[in-house]
Amino acid sequence: MDFNLTGEQELLRDGLTKFLAARYDLAESRSAAKTGPGWQPEIWRAFADELGILGATFPEDIGGIGGGPIELMVIAEALGHALVIEPYVGTVVVAGGLLVRAGTEAAHALLEQIAAGTAVVALADGPGITARADGDGWVLSGSAAVVTDAPLATHLLIAADTGRGTGLFLTEFDAAAPPAGLTVHGYRTIDDRRAADLELDDVRLAAPLVGDATAELDRARDEAAAAVCAEAVGGMRKVLADTVEYCKQRQQFGQPIGSFQALQHRMVDMYMEVEQAVAAVYLAILNLEADPDVRARSVSAAKAVVGRAARFVGQNAVQLHGGMGMTEELAIGHYFKRLTAVQYEFGSTDYHLSRYATISRPGA
Amino acid sequence: MDLNWSAEDLAFRDEVRTFLDTKLTDDLRGAGRLMTSVYAEHEASMAWQAILHERGWAAPAWPVEHGGCDWTLPQHYIFSRECQLAGAPSLSPMGIRMVSHAIMKFGTKEQKDFFLPGILTGEVFFCQGYSEPESGSDLASLQMAAVEDGDDLILTGSKIWTTHAIEANWMFALVRTTRSERKQLGITFILLEMTTPGIEVHPLVMTSGEEVQAQVFFDGVRVPKANILGKIDDGWTVAKYLLEFERGGSVTAPALQVMAEEIGAAAAQQPGPSGGRLIDDPAFARKLADARIRTEVLEILEFRTLTIVAQGGNPGPASSMLKIISTELSQALTELALEAAGARGRVYQPHATRPGGPIAEFEPPADDYLSGEPWQAVAPLRYFNDRAGSIYAGSNEIQRNILAKAALGL
Repeated sequence: MDFNLTGEQELLRDGLTKFLAARYDLAESRSAAKTGPGWQPEIWRAFADELGILGATFPEDIGGIGGGPIELMVIAEALGHALVIEPYVGTVVVAGGLLVRAGTEAAHALLEQIAAGTAVVALADGPGITARADGDGWVLSGSAAVVTDAPLATHLLIAADTGRGTGLFLTEFDAAAPPAGLTVHGYRTIDDRRAADLELDDVRLAAPLVGDATAELDRARDEAAAAVCAEAVGGMRKVLADTVEYCKQRQQFGQPIGSFQALQHRMVDMYMEVEQAVAAVYLAILNLEADPDVRARSVSAAKAVVGRAARFVGQNAVQLHGGMGMTEELAIGHYFKRLTAVQYEFGSTDYHLSRYATISRPGA
Repeated sequence: MDLNWSAEDLAFRDEVRTFLDTKLTDDLRGAGRLMTSVYAEHEASMAWQAILHERGWAAPAWPVEHGGCDWTLPQHYIFSRECQLAGAPSLSPMGIRMVSHAIMKFGTKEQKDFFLPGILTGEVFFCQGYSEPESGSDLASLQMAAVEDGDDLILTGSKIWTTHAIEANWMFALVRTTRSERKQLGITFILLEMTTPGIEVHPLVMTSGEEVQAQVFFDGVRVPKANILGKIDDGWTVAKYLLEFERGGSVTAPALQVMAEEIGAAAAQQPGPSGGRLIDDPAFARKLADARIRTEVLEILEFRTLTIVAQGGNPGPASSMLKIISTELSQALTELALEAAGARGRVYQPHATRPGGPIAEFEPPADDYLSGEPWQAVAPLRYFNDRAGSIYAGSNEIQRNILAKAALGL
């Protein structure tokens, strides 16, 4: 039993944390989200060139560092602590994971681009897209709602029902000039990311990268859910620290409001929620490479615990900040919105509770 | 004991329903249905107030001589309830429900003659200047200086969380005229025009993106002493009267019941987290049932409080309890609406809603594209804004302190 990071993992964490503290400004990032291009491409390039985090979890033979779930956790938590909006989970965890397991040459080429910071890949999945073979190609139709990062993407992975499983298709992409038959409705999300609704009307694509990627997609979603849990832990640690600090400073009735027992107990409850979320992330991360059932059960446990914690910690951080917590002026409001969104990403709290119940049922 | 309305009450209800059916246009209903907070879109709210005023129903709780209605208490409740059930936009509470009652009690004849008719027509639109950056829950510690100079007071300082400061042409404010040992002494209640030189309004951008609240800065603002309400240095008495007046008068359960019904209807069309319809998902169905039960219980609590007031009694700490219960219930419902919205609840699309103020830093899509249904666009904004319910008008922590003392004698 060992919960310590290796020396290299500590270096990864400290290097990234230092970089973000020095170079990732919350106000600049929000202004890029609201009135700019939706992200800071120069930060993304620095993630690749200066920090090497985009390939940190990829195998060494395709330009990666060969890191595993622990590296993923360390990176995601640091990104969450700084409220990074750049598309790490979508591009590196979801698309990266699918491409590594696709194992084709095209997949490897794209992984190298991801590691180099020159490709952003979004996954369009959901029940709405079908594909049929047509001559030497395939024709896709249907729609996908709220495809995260699509407006920023250079490539799309599209999961489509082929009638014989879920095919995984790959295409180059530019939201401003999408392929024929593909309509893109882009927008900002409540947590200042970019996403889009896609409508496919006979979009012609080459043969799928993977003929039936059902199992790979399940795994990718679990890995993404685990990454989002780690990201949420980073956000919750920041929100808790800010709240405690605020309650020490803020004076009412001639004393710091942090001296009132009712508020102390609330903050202690927040602290315990965060500690349980940290433990839940370990549970998910340390089982990410286990059998699919064990993996799914652990990830669902983590997502349910983290979802509940994100709600409690986020809501109470706002409450204890009073009106200031409701504004865009302090960090707390921005973190609250992200902590709201994480409860619904890659399966809501209720979805994961119900999946856990199914998997853990006696005799299942 | 009887939960049923009398025949007269039912006839009155039908009269109100007929009025609402004819007067509440689709546009006004839309403004009510697409509200992102307790504040309706300003223009729609004022238009609705004008229609109500025409019928003599803009301020039913006022005494008849000032333009109120000669209604029984059940009739007042029925009127509020029917308006909420019909989805009418809300009216600003600052003038009609709040400062007007203090003006009636403490105002000079000139003040009554000027302000009361103006409030009814909407020509006088008030905002509230109570909280300051350093005085929130501890309101009596407020510091905004008001220095006497001949016939005037000169105001310097700032007020915060001022709702509709941009739209308002008048403010009622608490200012510090004298510093004394007891912080409640030396406060003055004053009415001031928002166009007075030296006032600057800085809108605050909330997490929903809306600019409904503002911080208002005062730099040597000259206000005639004739605008003081009550006596100088005795503003706390006026403020306390206002607070007490609000007691027992609130009707919140019907609006919450409408919210619950709308969530149920939406959930019948939405996919659940594990396949099937959301309304058939046991976890969701139980949460919605629990919230609906709480709205039914809240309604009885509100009825009971009303009957105590009707018999001339004081509801006591019940007002604190009702504030906590109704705001926490509202938060539970906005949380459920966001859950029901599913993935679409993450999309930021205020252009499909009718917010209570301008939206900062947002360009609506050129083709007005909407991801999902309008209620899904409302859900996240309403959820964010509703976090204010447990903070404003005396935070729920302060209300619990009051209950501990007044209800339990602790």
